[in-house]
Amino acid sequence: MSKRSTMIIGSYRQTEENELVKASLGGDKLAFGEIVKRYQKMVARTVKGMLGDSVFAEDIGQEVFIKLYHSLSEFRGEAKLSTYIQRIAVNLTLNEIKRRKRFFSMFSQKGNSEMYEFEVADHENEERREASEIVNKALMRIDPKFRIIVTMRMLQGYSTKETAEILNLPLGTVLSRLSRAQDQLKGILEKL
Amino acid sequence: MKPSEIKKLIIGSMDVDAAPEEIARKLEEEGVSYDFSKGFSDRVIDKIFKAGVTIVRQTEFVRNLNSAFYRVALTGVAAIVVLLISIFLMEGSISFNSFLGLGDSYDESIVCLLTGN
Repeated sequence: MSKRSTMIIGSYRQTEENELVKASLGGDKLAFGEIVKRYQKMVARTVKGMLGDSVFAEDIGQEVFIKLYHSLSEFRGEAKLSTYIQRIAVNLTLNEIKRRKRFFSMFSQKGNSEMYEFEVADHENEERREASEIVNKALMRIDPKFRIIVTMRMLQGYSTKETAEILNLPLGTVLSRLSRAQDQLKGILEKL
Repeated sequence: MKPSEIKKLIIGSMDVDAAPEEIARKLEEEGVSYDFSKGFSDRVIDKIFKAGVTIVRQTEFVRNLNSAFYRVALTGVAAIVVLLISIFLMEGSISFNSFLGLGDSYDESIVCLLTGN
Protein backbone atom coordinates (compact mmCIF):
# COMPACT_ATOMS: atom_id res chain seq x y z
CA MET A 1 0.00 0.00 0.00
CA SER A 2 1.33 3.44 -0.90
CA LYS A 3 2.40 6.00 1.67
CA ARG A 4 -0.48 8.26 0.63
CA SER A 5 -3.15 5.61 1.17
CA THR A 6 -1.66 4.73 4.55
CA MET A 7 -1.97 8.39 5.53
CA ILE A 8 -5.56 8.51 4.36
CA ILE A 9 -6.38 5.35 6.32
CA GLY A 10 -4.80 7.06 9.29
CA SER A 11 -7.22 9.94 8.87
CA TYR A 12 -10.16 7.53 9.07
CA ARG A 13 -9.07 6.15 12.44
CA GLN A 14 -11.04 8.75 14.36
CA THR A 15 -14.02 8.70 12.02
CA GLU A 16 -17.44 7.79 13.35
CA GLU A 17 -18.95 4.51 12.20
CA ASN A 18 -21.88 6.07 10.36
CA GLU A 19 -19.51 8.32 8.42
CA LEU A 20 -17.47 5.29 7.43
CA VAL A 21 -20.63 3.53 6.27
CA LYS A 22 -21.69 6.55 4.19
CA ALA A 23 -18.25 6.84 2.62
CA SER A 24 -18.18 3.10 1.90
CA LEU A 25 -21.58 3.33 0.23
CA GLY A 26 -20.07 5.96 -2.05
CA GLY A 27 -17.42 3.41 -3.05
CA ASP A 28 -14.65 4.70 -0.79
CA LYS A 29 -12.21 1.78 -0.54
CA LEU A 30 -10.27 3.27 2.30
CA ALA A 31 -13.32 3.90 4.46
CA PHE A 32 -14.41 0.30 4.01
CA GLY A 33 -10.84 -0.82 4.70
CA GLU A 34 -11.08 0.96 8.04
CA ILE A 35 -14.33 -0.90 8.84
CA VAL A 36 -12.58 -4.20 8.02
CA LYS A 37 -9.64 -3.30 10.25
CA ARG A 38 -11.92 -2.32 13.14
CA TYR A 39 -13.95 -5.52 13.07
CA GLN A 40 -11.64 -8.20 11.68
CA LYS A 41 -10.61 -9.44 15.13
CA MET A 42 -14.22 -9.67 16.21
CA VAL A 43 -15.09 -11.66 13.08
CA ALA A 44 -12.00 -13.85 13.54
CA ARG A 45 -13.12 -14.75 17.06
CA THR A 46 -16.53 -15.88 15.79
CA VAL A 47 -15.36 -17.66 12.65
CA LYS A 48 -12.23 -19.28 14.07
CA GLY A 49 -13.97 -20.06 17.35
CA MET A 50 -16.62 -21.94 15.39
CA LEU A 51 -14.61 -23.45 12.54
CA GLY A 52 -11.12 -23.73 13.94
CA ASP A 53 -8.01 -21.98 12.75
CA SER A 54 -8.06 -23.16 9.14
CA VAL A 55 -7.80 -21.68 5.65
CA PHE A 56 -11.57 -22.06 5.39
CA ALA A 57 -12.01 -19.75 8.36
CA GLU A 58 -10.00 -17.08 6.55
CA ASP A 59 -12.18 -17.53 3.45
CA ILE A 60 -15.37 -17.24 5.49
CA GLY A 61 -13.92 -14.14 7.16
CA GLN A 62 -13.40 -12.56 3.74
CA GLU A 63 -16.89 -13.58 2.69
CA VAL A 64 -18.32 -11.87 5.78
CA PHE A 65 -16.87 -8.51 4.75
CA ILE A 66 -17.73 -8.96 1.07
CA LYS A 67 -21.34 -9.67 2.07
CA LEU A 68 -21.26 -6.69 4.42
CA TYR A 69 -20.09 -4.42 1.59
CA HIS A 70 -22.86 -5.57 -0.73
CA SER A 71 -25.54 -5.26 1.96
CA LEU A 72 -24.40 -1.96 3.46
CA SER A 73 -27.27 -0.14 1.74
CA GLU A 74 -29.67 -2.27 3.80
CA PHE A 75 -28.01 -1.25 7.05
CA ARG A 76 -30.33 1.34 8.58
CA GLY A 77 -28.32 2.01 11.69
CA GLU A 78 -31.05 0.71 14.02
CA ALA A 79 -28.62 -1.82 15.47
CA LYS A 80 -24.91 -1.33 16.04
CA LEU A 81 -22.71 -2.01 13.03
CA SER A 82 -20.86 -4.61 15.12
CA THR A 83 -24.13 -6.47 15.74
CA TYR A 84 -24.93 -6.36 12.02
CA ILE A 85 -21.47 -7.73 11.12
CA GLN A 86 -21.69 -10.33 13.86
CA ARG A 87 -25.01 -11.60 12.47
CA ILE A 88 -23.49 -12.01 9.00
CA ALA A 89 -20.51 -13.83 10.52
CA VAL A 90 -22.73 -16.17 12.54
CA ASN A 91 -24.97 -16.98 9.55
CA LEU A 92 -22.10 -17.66 7.18
CA THR A 93 -20.28 -19.76 9.76
CA LEU A 94 -23.37 -21.85 10.55
CA ASN A 95 -23.94 -22.35 6.81
CA GLU A 96 -20.35 -23.54 6.46
CA ILE A 97 -20.80 -25.99 9.33
CA LYS A 98 -23.97 -27.35 7.67
CA ARG A 99 -22.18 -27.62 4.33
CA ARG A 100 -19.26 -29.49 5.92
CA LYS A 101 -21.64 -31.81 7.76
CA ARG A 102 -23.36 -32.70 4.48
CA PHE A 103 -20.02 -33.17 2.73
CA PHE A 104 -18.53 -35.34 5.45
CA SER A 105 -21.67 -37.40 5.87
CA MET A 106 -21.45 -38.20 2.14
CA PHE A 107 -17.81 -39.22 2.13
CA SER A 108 -17.08 -40.38 5.65
CA GLN A 109 -18.61 -42.58 8.27
CA LYS A 110 -16.40 -41.17 10.98
CA GLY A 111 -18.71 -38.34 11.96
CA ASN A 112 -17.82 -34.76 12.69
CA SER A 113 -15.17 -35.24 15.29
CA GLU A 114 -12.41 -35.36 12.72
CA MET A 115 -13.56 -32.51 10.54
CA TYR A 116 -11.86 -29.80 12.51
CA GLU A 117 -8.13 -29.75 12.32
CA PHE A 118 -6.95 -27.21 14.77
CA GLU A 119 -3.60 -25.59 14.42
CA VAL A 120 -2.65 -23.58 17.42
CA ALA A 121 -0.42 -20.64 16.66
CA ASP A 122 3.09 -20.71 18.08
CA HIS A 123 3.25 -19.06 21.44
CA GLU A 124 6.43 -18.18 23.22
CA ASN A 125 4.95 -19.05 26.50
CA GLU A 126 4.03 -22.68 27.06
CA GLU A 127 1.30 -21.74 29.52
CA ARG A 128 -0.31 -19.39 27.02
CA ARG A 129 -0.16 -22.10 24.35
CA GLU A 130 -1.80 -24.51 26.74
CA ALA A 131 -4.63 -22.08 27.53
CA SER A 132 -5.26 -21.60 23.85
CA GLU A 133 -5.24 -25.35 23.29
CA ILE A 134 -7.73 -26.03 26.10
CA VAL A 135 -10.17 -23.40 24.78
CA ASN A 136 -9.90 -24.56 21.18
CA LYS A 137 -10.27 -28.25 22.02
CA ALA A 138 -13.29 -27.52 24.19
CA LEU A 139 -14.85 -25.46 21.40
CA MET A 140 -14.26 -28.10 18.75
CA ARG A 141 -15.74 -30.88 20.87
CA ILE A 142 -18.91 -29.12 21.92
CA ASP A 143 -22.12 -29.43 19.88
CA PRO A 144 -22.19 -26.62 17.20
CA LYS A 145 -25.60 -25.55 18.56
CA PHE A 146 -23.93 -24.72 21.87
CA ARG A 147 -20.59 -23.73 20.35
CA ILE A 148 -22.05 -20.53 18.97
CA ILE A 149 -23.37 -19.59 22.42
CA VAL A 150 -19.99 -20.36 24.00
CA THR A 151 -18.17 -18.34 21.32
CA MET A 152 -20.43 -15.32 21.81
CA ARG A 153 -20.15 -15.50 25.55
CA MET A 154 -16.61 -16.65 26.25
CA LEU A 155 -14.66 -15.21 23.32
CA GLN A 156 -16.71 -12.14 22.42
CA GLY A 157 -17.77 -11.35 25.97
CA TYR A 158 -21.40 -10.66 25.06
CA SER A 159 -24.10 -10.55 27.70
CA THR A 160 -27.05 -12.94 27.51
CA LYS A 161 -29.23 -10.18 26.07
CA GLU A 162 -26.66 -9.27 23.40
CA THR A 163 -26.20 -12.94 22.50
CA ALA A 164 -29.96 -13.33 22.09
CA GLU A 165 -30.10 -10.23 19.89
CA ILE A 166 -27.26 -11.35 17.63
CA LEU A 167 -28.48 -14.91 17.28
CA ASN A 168 -32.07 -13.76 16.94
CA LEU A 169 -33.15 -16.17 19.67
CA PRO A 170 -35.51 -15.67 22.60
CA LEU A 171 -33.72 -14.89 25.87
CA GLY A 172 -35.12 -18.07 27.44
CA THR A 173 -33.58 -20.22 24.68
CA VAL A 174 -30.19 -18.58 25.19
CA LEU A 175 -30.40 -19.17 28.95
CA SER A 176 -31.31 -22.83 28.55
CA ARG A 177 -28.55 -23.34 25.97
CA LEU A 178 -26.06 -21.66 28.28
CA SER A 179 -26.91 -24.13 31.00
CA ARG A 180 -26.73 -27.12 28.64
CA ALA A 181 -23.48 -25.82 27.14
CA GLN A 182 -22.04 -25.54 30.63
CA ASP A 183 -22.96 -29.18 31.34
CA GLN A 184 -21.33 -30.32 28.09
CA LEU A 185 -18.24 -28.21 28.74
CA LYS A 186 -17.83 -29.74 32.20
CA GLY A 187 -17.80 -33.22 30.67
CA ILE A 188 -15.40 -32.21 27.90
CA LEU A 189 -12.98 -30.33 30.15
CA GLU A 190 -12.83 -33.19 32.65
CA LYS A 191 -11.33 -35.40 29.95
CA LEU A 192 -8.76 -32.82 28.79
CA MET B 1 -2.65 -19.29 34.61
CA LYS B 2 -2.84 -23.00 35.36
CA PRO B 3 -4.93 -25.27 33.09
CA SER B 4 -7.34 -25.94 35.96
CA GLU B 5 -7.94 -22.18 36.31
CA ILE B 6 -8.53 -21.84 32.57
CA LYS B 7 -11.08 -24.65 32.76
CA LYS B 8 -12.82 -22.95 35.68
CA LEU B 9 -12.91 -19.72 33.70
CA ILE B 10 -14.44 -21.45 30.68
CA ILE B 11 -17.13 -23.14 32.76
CA GLY B 12 -17.73 -19.96 34.75
CA SER B 13 -18.33 -17.97 31.55
CA MET B 14 -21.56 -19.92 31.10
CA ASP B 15 -23.00 -18.77 34.44
CA VAL B 16 -25.93 -16.42 34.02
CA ASP B 17 -24.51 -13.92 36.49
CA ALA B 18 -20.96 -14.11 35.09
CA ALA B 19 -19.18 -11.07 33.64
CA PRO B 20 -18.46 -12.41 30.12
CA GLU B 21 -16.58 -9.30 29.03
CA GLU B 22 -14.15 -9.74 31.91
CA ILE B 23 -13.69 -13.45 31.16
CA ALA B 24 -13.07 -12.75 27.46
CA ARG B 25 -10.45 -10.16 28.42
CA LYS B 26 -8.74 -12.55 30.86
CA LEU B 27 -8.65 -15.32 28.26
CA GLU B 28 -7.15 -12.95 25.72
CA GLU B 29 -4.48 -12.01 28.22
CA GLU B 30 -3.75 -15.72 28.59
CA GLY B 31 -3.11 -16.07 24.87
CA VAL B 32 -6.57 -17.06 23.66
CA SER B 33 -6.70 -14.56 20.82
CA TYR B 34 -7.85 -14.82 17.25
CA ASP B 35 -7.07 -12.82 14.16
CA PHE B 36 -6.73 -13.32 10.43
CA SER B 37 -3.36 -13.40 8.73
CA LYS B 38 -1.46 -10.25 7.80
CA GLY B 39 -2.88 -8.24 4.90
CA PHE B 40 -6.42 -9.56 5.46
CA SER B 41 -8.12 -6.19 4.92
CA ASP B 42 -6.16 -5.57 1.70
CA ARG B 43 -7.22 -8.95 0.36
CA VAL B 44 -10.86 -8.23 1.19
CA ILE B 45 -10.71 -4.82 -0.53
CA ASP B 46 -9.02 -6.34 -3.60
CA LYS B 47 -11.70 -9.03 -3.84
CA ILE B 48 -14.55 -6.55 -3.50
CA PHE B 49 -13.31 -3.99 -5.98
CA LYS B 50 -11.94 -6.43 -8.58
CA ALA B 51 -15.25 -8.29 -8.49
CA GLY B 52 -16.96 -4.90 -8.80
CA VAL B 53 -15.26 -4.26 -12.17
CA THR B 54 -16.45 -7.63 -13.49
CA ILE B 55 -19.98 -6.99 -12.27
CA VAL B 56 -20.02 -3.52 -13.89
CA ARG B 57 -18.81 -5.03 -17.18
CA GLN B 58 -21.45 -7.75 -17.03
CA THR B 59 -24.15 -5.20 -16.21
CA GLU B 60 -23.07 -3.00 -19.14
CA PHE B 61 -23.26 -5.95 -21.53
CA VAL B 62 -26.74 -6.91 -20.31
CA ARG B 63 -27.87 -3.26 -20.55
CA ASN B 64 -26.57 -3.00 -24.15
CA LEU B 65 -28.26 -6.28 -25.05
CA ASN B 66 -31.53 -5.03 -23.58
CA SER B 67 -31.44 -1.73 -25.48
CA ALA B 68 -30.61 -3.58 -28.73
CA PHE B 69 -33.52 -5.95 -28.09
CA TYR B 70 -35.93 -3.05 -27.49
CA ARG B 71 -34.85 -1.36 -30.72
CA VAL B 72 -35.35 -4.54 -32.74
CA ALA B 73 -38.68 -5.26 -31.03
CA LEU B 74 -40.02 -1.74 -31.57
CA THR B 75 -39.00 -1.75 -35.24
CA GLY B 76 -40.69 -5.14 -35.64
CA VAL B 77 -43.92 -3.93 -34.06
CA ALA B 78 -43.87 -0.79 -36.27
CA ALA B 79 -43.40 -2.96 -39.39
CA ILE B 80 -46.34 -5.20 -38.42
CA VAL B 81 -48.60 -2.15 -37.89
CA VAL B 82 -47.60 -0.69 -41.29
CA LEU B 83 -48.27 -4.08 -42.93
CA LEU B 84 -51.74 -4.33 -41.31
CA ILE B 85 -52.63 -0.78 -42.38
CA SER B 86 -51.49 -1.41 -45.95
CA ILE B 87 -53.51 -4.68 -46.08
CA PHE B 88 -56.56 -2.85 -44.74
CA LEU B 89 -56.18 -0.10 -47.34
CA MET B 90 -55.64 -2.51 -50.26
CA GLU B 91 -58.13 -5.22 -49.36
CA GLY B 92 -60.69 -3.19 -47.39
CA SER B 93 -60.49 -5.52 -44.40
CA ILE B 94 -57.94 -7.27 -42.26
CA SER B 95 -59.47 -10.73 -42.41
CA PHE B 96 -57.31 -13.88 -42.43
CA ASN B 97 -57.74 -14.24 -46.21
CA SER B 98 -56.71 -10.70 -46.94
CA PHE B 99 -53.75 -11.18 -44.62
CA LEU B 100 -52.71 -14.22 -46.71
CA GLY B 101 -53.24 -12.19 -49.92
CA LEU B 102 -56.28 -14.26 -51.02
CA GLY B 103 -58.71 -11.36 -50.85
CA ASP B 104 -62.30 -12.26 -51.82
CA SER B 105 -61.31 -14.72 -54.61
CA TYR B 106 -63.16 -18.04 -54.79
CA ASP B 107 -61.44 -21.42 -54.94
CA GLU B 108 -62.59 -21.90 -58.57
CA SER B 109 -61.03 -18.66 -59.69
CA ILE B 110 -57.75 -19.69 -58.03
CA VAL B 111 -57.86 -23.04 -59.88
CA CYS B 112 -58.57 -21.16 -63.15
CA LEU B 113 -55.78 -18.77 -62.41
CA LEU B 114 -53.31 -21.57 -61.72
CA THR B 115 -54.33 -23.98 -64.49
CA GLY B 116 -55.22 -21.35 -67.14
CA ASN B 117 -58.60 -23.12 -67.84
